[in-house]
Amino acid sequence: MAVIAISVFVVAYVLIASDRINKTLVALCGGAIVLALGIVEADDAFYSHETGIDWNVIFLLFGMMIIVGVLRQTGVFEYVAIWAAKRANGSPLRIMMLLVLVTAIASALLDNVTTVLLIAPVTLLVCDRLAINPVPFLIAEVLASNIGGASTLVGDPPNIIIASRAGLTFNDFLVHMTPIVLIVMVAFIAMLPFIFRGSFDVDPERVADVMTLNEREAIRDPRLLIKCGAVLIAVFAAFILHSVVHIEPSIVALLGAGLLILISRLEQRDYLASVEWETLLFFVGLFVMVGALVKTGVVDQLARSATEFTNGNGLLTTMLILGISAPVSGVIDNIPFTATMTPIVSELSASISDLSHPHVLWWALALGADFGGNLTAVGASANVVMLGIARRADNPISFWEFTRKGLLITVVSIALSALYLWLRYFVFG
Amino acid sequence: MHAEDMAEDFPVITVDTNALEAARILAEHRLPGILVTDTDGRPYAVLPASQVVRFIVPTYVQDDPSLAGVINESWADKAAEKLGDKKVHDVLPEHLTDVPPVNADDTIIEVAALMARLRSPLIAVMKDHKLHGVITASRLLDAALRR
Repeated sequence: MAVIAISVFVVAYVLIASDRINKTLVALCGGAIVLALGIVEADDAFYSHETGIDWNVIFLLFGMMIIVGVLRQTGVFEYVAIWAAKRANGSPLRIMMLLVLVTAIASALLDNVTTVLLIAPVTLLVCDRLAINPVPFLIAEVLASNIGGASTLVGDPPNIIIASRAGLTFNDFLVHMTPIVLIVMVAFIAMLPFIFRGSFDVDPERVADVMTLNEREAIRDPRLLIKCGAVLIAVFAAFILHSVVHIEPSIVALLGAGLLILISRLEQRDYLASVEWETLLFFVGLFVMVGALVKTGVVDQLARSATEFTNGNGLLTTMLILGISAPVSGVIDNIPFTATMTPIVSELSASISDLSHPHVLWWALALGADFGGNLTAVGASANVVMLGIARRADNPISFWEFTRKGLLITVVSIALSALYLWLRYFVFG
Repeated sequence: MHAEDMAEDFPVITVDTNALEAARILAEHRLPGILVTDTDGRPYAVLPASQVVRFIVPTYVQDDPSLAGVINESWADKAAEKLGDKKVHDVLPEHLTDVPPVNADDTIIEVAALMARLRSPLIAVMKDHKLHGVITASRLLDAALRR
């Protein structure tokens, strides 16, 4: 049974990485095969926390997708982005820095793909006004979204998976991930003038054009904005006050989404428009396939091998997880990688005794998977979406053009992460 | 009545026609839409007038309609200039390329059903593998109500 589970998993992984067949179809077929062969049974797939579909992840994503779907209708993001561009007084470098900041902050609160979908059109508009090439701006923003998304539990899907499997709270991410994300963001912003050298020349006459943009016109429904803002604040307050209210993030997101639907009175097609059913089904298939590896003992064996390889050394295991996660996440989607790694990291966390902090391996996985998404143009869904937007706007970004910048940022962010993990959890821990 | 009896001559453009020229043909003749053929003269797409309007809307505004109000009047008035040297093929929405033609011997109901299902203002008519003409929605209704 273990051999079949591994075979199904490897074939599915190769097909997902090759991007030739729809990845949701591959994940669902893989899940269907292990179910049909009885490797995983209904109880394992639907009710087991160890081997089954992680409903916390599915419903947290679902709830947040609906909240974001309503938030998008308000135009608030466009308002903030244009306001920021105008505050930069038309200086392309300052505009890039401010848009990168807006993207990173939005990515911490929303998922990265949504953030990219929101920031890209505004960026194209501003660059069109300035008559400058938007490609450096789009690349900088997608890199920032992958960095910013790492800071919170809801910022990036790998974090949602890790939080659910490791029992980590929203505040755990704020305390352990946000500091390193801030450090990486500062380094990233400082590097912008050098990475995109020569991209900031602008005709002074065009600068005045940016100042004529009227950001107030972006707010289409002020009452909806107030309602949406109130619900969003309540949702994040409930995330932060988890230790007081004891409501799981998935339930908070669903309650927030339900409340927003009730008070916004939007049509069904409007609030469901942002629900990515394919992504949710992809997660379902993935969880069933990984569940088969857990049930057949493959994950246990992998964890034992990893422990033997590192000789139970906590620091070495931490750096190994970080060092493997980044390149692998950069080459294949970081979501299936994280789903596969969580049971292995769970076993390692339990078996390695000299860990100075019980969750350090989880932070290594989260940092590697999140920052690794910047490595190549296909490392994260947000990258692929941004490339598509750029192509449709007649400003195509080539794979290597993206990867040259992404590789540099990934190396810097992973090096800073390694230093952070070592200092915080092993030197001063 | 068959499709060939309803078909009429109609302005046709190719995928290589200048997009600005295509928009101008529609505007000047106040057409409900226009048939786009490939370089071999075979029907390729049907462009309703409402979709030709998209030609002058920047892609970033199509992606995020809330940006439409952000742009000031003088800039908005120059939107058509952006079309420049673009060809119809460059600005053709993909979903419009899936409008099959009808055969010359198809009945009025077959033509109406296809037009309604695809929400297309006109349909190309093929005879002997060649473009025979075009049926517009108003021409079809005229034929149907005359009986």
